[in-house]
Amino acid sequence: MKSLLACYRAVIKTKLAERMAYRTDFAISVLLMLLGDFMIPLVTLLVYRSGASFPGWTLQEALLIQAVFTLAKGVAFPFFFGIVSTTLYHVREGSFDVFLLKPRPILFLAMMNAFDLDDFGRLISGGVLFGLALSGVPAPSALHWIQFAVLFLCSLLVLFAFSLFLSGLLFKWVGSSRVYDMFDSMSMFGMYPGTIFSKLFQQLFTYVIPIAMIGFLPASALLGKGADGAWLSMGMSIVFCGAGLMFWHGMLRNYTSAGG
Amino acid sequence: MQSLRFVRAVAFATYKEWAAYRSHMAVSIFIGPVYFLVQYFIWHAVYASQDILNGFTLSEMLTYYGVMSVITYLTFDFADWNLQMLIRTGKYVTFILRPVSHVGFALAQKVGHRTLGFWMEFIPVFLIYLFIFKIKLLPPQPFWAVLSIILGFLMTFFVNYSIGLTAFWLTNAEGVRRVFLLMRDITAGVFVPLSFFPDGLQHVLFYLPFQFMQYIPVRVYIGSYELAGITMSIPQVVGLQAIAVLCMWGVCQLLVHLGTRKFTGVGV
Repeated sequence: MKSLLACYRAVIKTKLAERMAYRTDFAISVLLMLLGDFMIPLVTLLVYRSGASFPGWTLQEALLIQAVFTLAKGVAFPFFFGIVSTTLYHVREGSFDVFLLKPRPILFLAMMNAFDLDDFGRLISGGVLFGLALSGVPAPSALHWIQFAVLFLCSLLVLFAFSLFLSGLLFKWVGSSRVYDMFDSMSMFGMYPGTIFSKLFQQLFTYVIPIAMIGFLPASALLGKGADGAWLSMGMSIVFCGAGLMFWHGMLRNYTSAGG
Repeated sequence: MQSLRFVRAVAFATYKEWAAYRSHMAVSIFIGPVYFLVQYFIWHAVYASQDILNGFTLSEMLTYYGVMSVITYLTFDFADWNLQMLIRTGKYVTFILRPVSHVGFALAQKVGHRTLGFWMEFIPVFLIYLFIFKIKLLPPQPFWAVLSIILGFLMTFFVNYSIGLTAFWLTNAEGVRRVFLLMRDITAGVFVPLSFFPDGLQHVLFYLPFQFMQYIPVRVYIGSYELAGITMSIPQVVGLQAIAVLCMWGVCQLLVHLGTRKFTGVGV
């Protein structure tokens, strides 16, 4: 464990030095993350500003769902979601084989290599949005905070599972950056109140592919709205993550080297 | 005639090159409808309590997003990414030595890339929207719609190419590129129709080049144009779009001239 942490520290230092070579670009990238993450909330704001709304949800409540979603991505992207880009790049270039030769777990090496400073912008934007949205709703009770914390951890598990599925795909589907588009399109379902979707989709995204766990369910817990099936969905998140790990390792076993 | 042969040759080579990765493009058949499905649910929920929102009925709103989605497949462009990569790595040097302009080369590449996109992305997604989502996707004035899409195609290219040219000054222009792309998508009406923005901002958007990339082609396709309280007939707005494309071409050529003088071949 100690040696893993030492590895992680060394990588962070190197990445920081590397990124500082293009400081202006780094600053712009972080700023851009902030702006980019405000886009969906901006659309929500414009919709509410024009007098419309999502039935049963105030503007602040709808924004809170999107804030939780952004916050979860803000934790996931710098620390582990980058395994998708690492796999994409190294498999295409033929340099993924180097990970196989190193004396550390391959998944850990892929995650460590994927550490991305730019993505901390997402964490900032998530935090800002979360604070803004929270200031407009009644203060949650301690119990709601505990429920939120547990469900938020599950949302990170779901994002980890997604990163494993997408990254695993790239062992065979070499060099396709479209996996990001696949994730973006599917995860959109987690950014809005689950109640606006049909029953079929609500059940699909709560119990089968727990996308609702990324933003909707933790935010509902914080608001004391107690969405149906949250605890079952929590179990599904763990199963989903386990399936992701199995899939990733299975795909890795089938990896036959490419590119180079 | 020689230019046409050049465009055809580069476009064909690009088509063949990208056809090797056709599965990457074919994913749009999944992604496009999924995005649209989300919009479908959002707007159905929003329109539950009212019939008209900022001048759009539910049916018009879904048509707006459907048309926006399929037109994007025709005008999609990444000349900015390509150009800034060539400049940063120094590979642009090889284009300075060639007896053809890089602008023409990149435009021909886009023609080839989008030709493949036409039947791998546009046609299947168009049919899904038309027959599964029952969206009215047939333009009332096909001639003007096609002309406006062609102009939107050129406008997108010139704007993106100009963004890529910033790499002559910034070397690593990835951050700037992404800021521009984000601003471009917001101000081109990709996320939400421009008529949803506050009145003052709509007046600003009217004078920016971005509405000519996607918002105008979509509105011409639908058959009516309105922004910031300004309404125009379809031929008028397409004429305005043509003038804007000519202006943007001029800006692009000027930036190429200035940028090439600045180029030092860093990264070679």
